Parts: sequence; C-alpha cells; structure tokens
Amino acid sequence: MRPDGTPPILELKGFDYTYLEGTPRASEAVRDISFRIDSGERVGIVGATQSGKSTVVDSFAHLLRLTPGQVFYKGEDVAATGYDKGRLRREIGIVFQQPDSQIIEDVVGADVAFGPTAAGLSAGETRGRVEESLNTLGLPYADFRLRYIHALSGGQRRRVAIAGVLAMHTPVLVLDEPMAGLDPRGRKELLELLIKLQKDRELTLIVCSASLNDASLLCDRFIVLDRGTVVMDGPVREILRQADRLAELDITLPEPVVGAREMQRLFPDFPTDLLTEDELESELLTRLGTA
Amino acid sequence: MLELQRNVIFGQFVETGSFIHRMDARVKIAVTSVFIVASFLIDDFLGFAVLLPLLVVIGVVSRIPIGYVLRGSRIFIAFLALILAFQVLFYSRDVPESSYLWRWGLLSVSTEGLYSAGILALRVILLYYVTTMLMLTTSLVDLTNGLELIFGPLQRLRIPVNELVLVFVIAIKFVPIFIEEMERLARAQTARGVPFDEGGAITRARRLGRLLIPIFISGFARADTLTIAMNTRSYRGGRYRTKLRQMSASPSDWLALILVIAWISVAWLV
Repeated sequence: MRPDGTPPILELKGFDYTYLEGTPRASEAVRDISFRIDSGERVGIVGATQSGKSTVVDSFAHLLRLTPGQVFYKGEDVAATGYDKGRLRREIGIVFQQPDSQIIEDVVGADVAFGPTAAGLSAGETRGRVEESLNTLGLPYADFRLRYIHALSGGQRRRVAIAGVLAMHTPVLVLDEPMAGLDPRGRKELLELLIKLQKDRELTLIVCSASLNDASLLCDRFIVLDRGTVVMDGPVREILRQADRLAELDITLPEPVVGAREMQRLFPDFPTDLLTEDELESELLTRLGTA
Repeated sequence: MLELQRNVIFGQFVETGSFIHRMDARVKIAVTSVFIVASFLIDDFLGFAVLLPLLVVIGVVSRIPIGYVLRGSRIFIAFLALILAFQVLFYSRDVPESSYLWRWGLLSVSTEGLYSAGILALRVILLYYVTTMLMLTTSLVDLTNGLELIFGPLQRLRIPVNELVLVFVIAIKFVPIFIEEMERLARAQTARGVPFDEGGAITRARRLGRLLIPIFISGFARADTLTIAMNTRSYRGGRYRTKLRQMSASPSDWLALILVIAWISVAWLV
C-alpha cells in the first residue's frame, strides 16, 4: 500500500504454481512468490532459465489455472469467481518471448488492429491507434500496413508484436526477453523507445530477462528469481552491489559491472553498482588519480 | 486456461520404473501387436469381458494413474462418441422390423445397431488403450530400437526399415511437441484478447482453427531444423550404425508374452 492508500497495481501473495498439477508429469515452477509493483514503476524480473519468470508473467494476465488469493490487480483477486478476465487482459499488455506466438492475423495492419477492434473501438480510432503504434516502432504505417508478417525479419516481427500490444494503450506493459534475437542497433533503438514510451504514457513497465545488460538501464528495481523463488528484491544499484551473488545465479551482468569485477583484482573495494561505461570510467579515473 | 497437455496424452512417455517400463521393447511391441490382432478377431462381449482383467493388470502394473489416462483421453472419447452415434443412427443392415426401438426417416435406433456400435467401441478402445500404454511405458529410443530390430530382416528385401521407423517415431513424437506449441500460442493469443478459456464448445473449436496456420509454419520450421541437425551430424540410416545398448529379453519378458497370448486366445475362443 502506498502512503496515499491506493493498492499496488500488481501484487503476488505467496504465489505457487505447478504445471500439470495432479498428473505424473507435474512440475513445480514457482513457490511462495510475493511482491508488489506500484503504478508507474519500472521493474525488471530477472533470473536464469527455469527460474519461473515466464510463469510469473503469465500469472499477471491470468493465463494459468490460478488459485484464488494469490494474484491481485489493483487490489482485486484476479482468480476470484466472476472476475472480468477480458478487462484484465485489456489492461495488461504482454509481449512474449517469441513474437510469432502472439501474432493473430497475416497482415501487419490487421494484426495491430486486432486488439483495439476486439476492445470495441471504432474503425477510425482503431486506424489511428494502428498508425501511431507502427510509426512509434519505426515501421512506417503507409509502407508496412499491408505487408505479410511471416515475410518480415525476426526483428521486424518483434516490433509488430510490440505494436499490437501498444495499440491497446494498456497501463501495464510486460516484456519477456524483449532484446533476444535483436542486433546491437535494434537493441539500442528498442531500449530508447521503451524508456520514452514509459515516460510519455506513465506506464508500469515490467521487463523479464536473464541478462541485466539492458534491463539495468530500463528499470529502477530488480526482482531476482532463482529456481522458482524470490532471492533478491530492491533498487537496481543495491542489487548490482551483490554482483558476485548474481553471477552465481547465472545471470548475465551488465558490461560496466563485468568491468568493475575485473577491477576488483586491482582494487578489492571497487564498487559494482555501475550502470554506464561513463560511471565505470570516472570511478576508474578517480582511483588511478589517487593511486 | 487452456491446458491441452492434460487432455491429450497421445505420444507421451511417463517414467515410473515399473516392470512394464523395464520390459524389452520388442516384447512390448509384440504384445501390442497381438492385442491389435485380437481386437479384430474377438467379436462378442464375452471375449472383451475376458480381456478386461488383463488390461486392468497392465494398467496397475505400469503404475500410471488411471485418472491421468482417462483425463488425457477426453478428446479421444468425445470423438469416439460422435462416431458411435453415427454408427447407431445409420445402421441398416438386416434389421428385423421387431428390433427397431426408434425410427425417423433415414435415422433409426435398433438393437442390432447398438450391438454393433458396442463391439466397435470396445475394439477401438482396446486399440487405443494398448497403443497408448505402449507409448506411455516405452521411451523414444527403446521404441525406435525395438521396431528396427523387429523389422530389421526386411532390409534384405531392400525395404528401408530404419528410415521408415524413424519417420514413424518422429511423427508420433511430434504430437506432444505440437500440443505444447498450441498451448503456448493459445496462451499468447488469449493475452491479446482471444479468450480461449471462455465460450461454448463450437466457439472454442473455431478459435482453435486460428492456430492452424502458425502451427503449420512452426511445424515446417521444426522439421527443417531437424533435417539440418541430422545432416550436420552425418545421419544416414541405421544400417551402418552400431548400438551402444544391446537389447536383451529376460525370461520374465518371455513369460509375460506367453501369458498375454494365452489369455487372448482364451478370450478369442470363448
């Protein structure tokens, strides 16, 4: 609960989940996960593969067989009987790891229009949303509107998938491994775009990743998962200070932090909570100046 | 939420370490074949009744929970029920006027129709049960090796046994992969506002249609990747391959085979 009394936008309370529960192929994905995310926060959910990130993401939009009393959106139990799941899914936009899985139509324009149309927007409004979303993602509307999605490159398909979610104007945007499969330029562009979008639309932004590389520039807070439980939760710099522990958990560290850990061989107390190369450089220069 | 994997167990392998799991795959395939033959030979309820205890024993010994098998057969059972309804309603072979229970134009319900549908149902269920049990208790590797060894002699007749077995096994093992893929797609599309977890049976079935194109695309991509992977590892038919693990049937395996054949013979003869 925030000081002003509004409930957190998303909250997990002792969230447990086992896939195919009650069958011989049951596998426990997450155990007793609790955290709250406030409106407008920029949170990274990080962890190695099999840490339970995707299960957590799927729970936000009620895409699993949830037990009541574990997942809350704006203070309401999403698994309660009679809860409007359709509305929940119109407010939580998820971009999945494989963009192909969430593409519904064959043609770019039609696919981006799918969400707004399903939400009951007029044709004119829908067209506006499609144009705006495609342009925002660097896929000019006039040029891409009628292209076949399956003929696009991987990076372009991902952008179409993101556009489809953006067109919904959801207050919460969740991205699962958004940078996977993108080249450095694509990553940089997407990073800048997400930072701008989050600021302009006051989005609650949630990014899942096994790498802190881009997430550390995009998020203010990290929730670190390991084998289905939360092992760390706090501001980005505070988490980065425990770089050794993160490395043990098989999480890819940001490049400046990798540099800082190398520097610890020379300066054992060299800090690891560095976000940019500039910070690393200035820290190094100070050290060298005093040495 | 759509959890297809619960409702379709075809092609899955569940390790429980039971006697049946440890049996020689060739013996298991032989037993399954005997059952398949039996399903065509037996043509009265008594015969199937005699077989029932044997099937129960197999189920219990395999230690695979019956609830899991039943749940996993829901779609199959629904499909079977549909077929049987047609079988009953359109049955018209030598039905004496006295045995009609209900009639309306071409459609009718007669005792003969019900009897033939009943036998047909038992045949199909038997076929389904034994092949499902074979797959639930036999790993992919054992199944491939077993089939290759059984049909190996046909290679002298220039029949590409290894290739055929490989195609067969890949086809079966792609089923669970496709199901997982469908589940993933359904989840992603639900997130975008196609509610796969709501609506009646027909609406749901129609929505599943939407998944066909992406499923085909990913299927071709997977097949392509598999081909490349096999080529890069210089795969060529198993004739040139040697096996790390040699299969050997133990006396208890043979005993099980003899027992099953004897039991089935009884069921056929009664």
